[in-house]
Amino acid sequence: MRLLCLLSLLCFGPLAEAELKWEKTVQQFQRVPDDKAIEARYTFRNTGPTPVTIKSLRSSCGCTTAKLDKKLYAPGEQGEVVLRFTFGDRKGSYLKGVTVTTDEKTAEPVVLKLFVEIHDPLTIAPALVFWRKGEAAAPKTVQLSTEAAQRVRIKSVTSSNPGITATLQTMQPGMQYAVSITPSSTAQKDAAEITVQTDFPPDAPHTYTIHARIK
Amino acid sequence: MIARALRQTALLLALALLPAIVSGVVQLRWDDAEPLAAGEVRAATVREWGAKVQWVDARPRDKFAAGHIDGALLLNEDEWSKLVPAFLDAWDPDLPVVVYCEGGSCEASHAVARRLREELKIGNVHVLKGGLTAWPVK
Repeated sequence: MRLLCLLSLLCFGPLAEAELKWEKTVQQFQRVPDDKAIEARYTFRNTGPTPVTIKSLRSSCGCTTAKLDKKLYAPGEQGEVVLRFTFGDRKGSYLKGVTVTTDEKTAEPVVLKLFVEIHDPLTIAPALVFWRKGEAAAPKTVQLSTEAAQRVRIKSVTSSNPGITATLQTMQPGMQYAVSITPSSTAQKDAAEITVQTDFPPDAPHTYTIHARIK
Repeated sequence: MIARALRQTALLLALALLPAIVSGVVQLRWDDAEPLAAGEVRAATVREWGAKVQWVDARPRDKFAAGHIDGALLLNEDEWSKLVPAFLDAWDPDLPVVVYCEGGSCEASHAVARRLREELKIGNVHVLKGGLTAWPVK
């Protein structure tokens, strides 16, 4: 009977509280693509009476790495996990997570979350125009716009293919433009990349691409 | 005394085994019937489409190089600007696009599918539910 009680206690014993206390496990940021990457620091303290070892840091994505100075933390000792999210060519809203597992027998793994909004100052809608073979070779229009807070002037648009031309129209300087794209013929498959040259940011102005295809 | 202890251990194990079996059966059925998230498609549905699919591999280049679904094109967010032109050259507007990544908690396929739909306005874009775990590469 004593064995039964012991095994039951081992199996169903009450969960103890985690000894590693995190200052915050969720952080949120807004960035632009030029930032290239973001580093977020998550600090913690060992509030328990025994040392705690961080056994693993598991990232949800290859684009996010987690760094820790050391693994063993004495009672009362503070540490930090640094998450680095590399943007690559990402745009939009992202949630990245890293799961922290310790040697605390009764504690659940902690998930550190990083919300990042990567906001491009210029919106291109759509970034692709296409025609089917034999379709009327009528112009298709792409809208370029910025938010009121950010002026981006379009300096030029250039097509990589003389058979597909691109014409810039300025609706509201620095804020709204339209690019009219026209193929000379849709008889054959064809392709062009339209390069949009801006003046923003002044030190390293961005170029954007509009894709045109005849399918 | 030892015999009694063994009997009690066996009883405990039997008690633990029953819920484990029930849980296993329920989870297997749940996996099968797990609802699709927005834009997802099951592997069984893609098999019904046969070869008439444009596969897109949303994983990093090294993983793509190590093995991918036959005919898949590499298109990930690390190199989006560089890879989009080649994808568009091969893209057939009459075929459904099915994007996959590793599976499990991988989010890359959803991110790539979102950009195909929102930035390039390509319709008929799907995410393979379960990723490569649902469509193992031979």
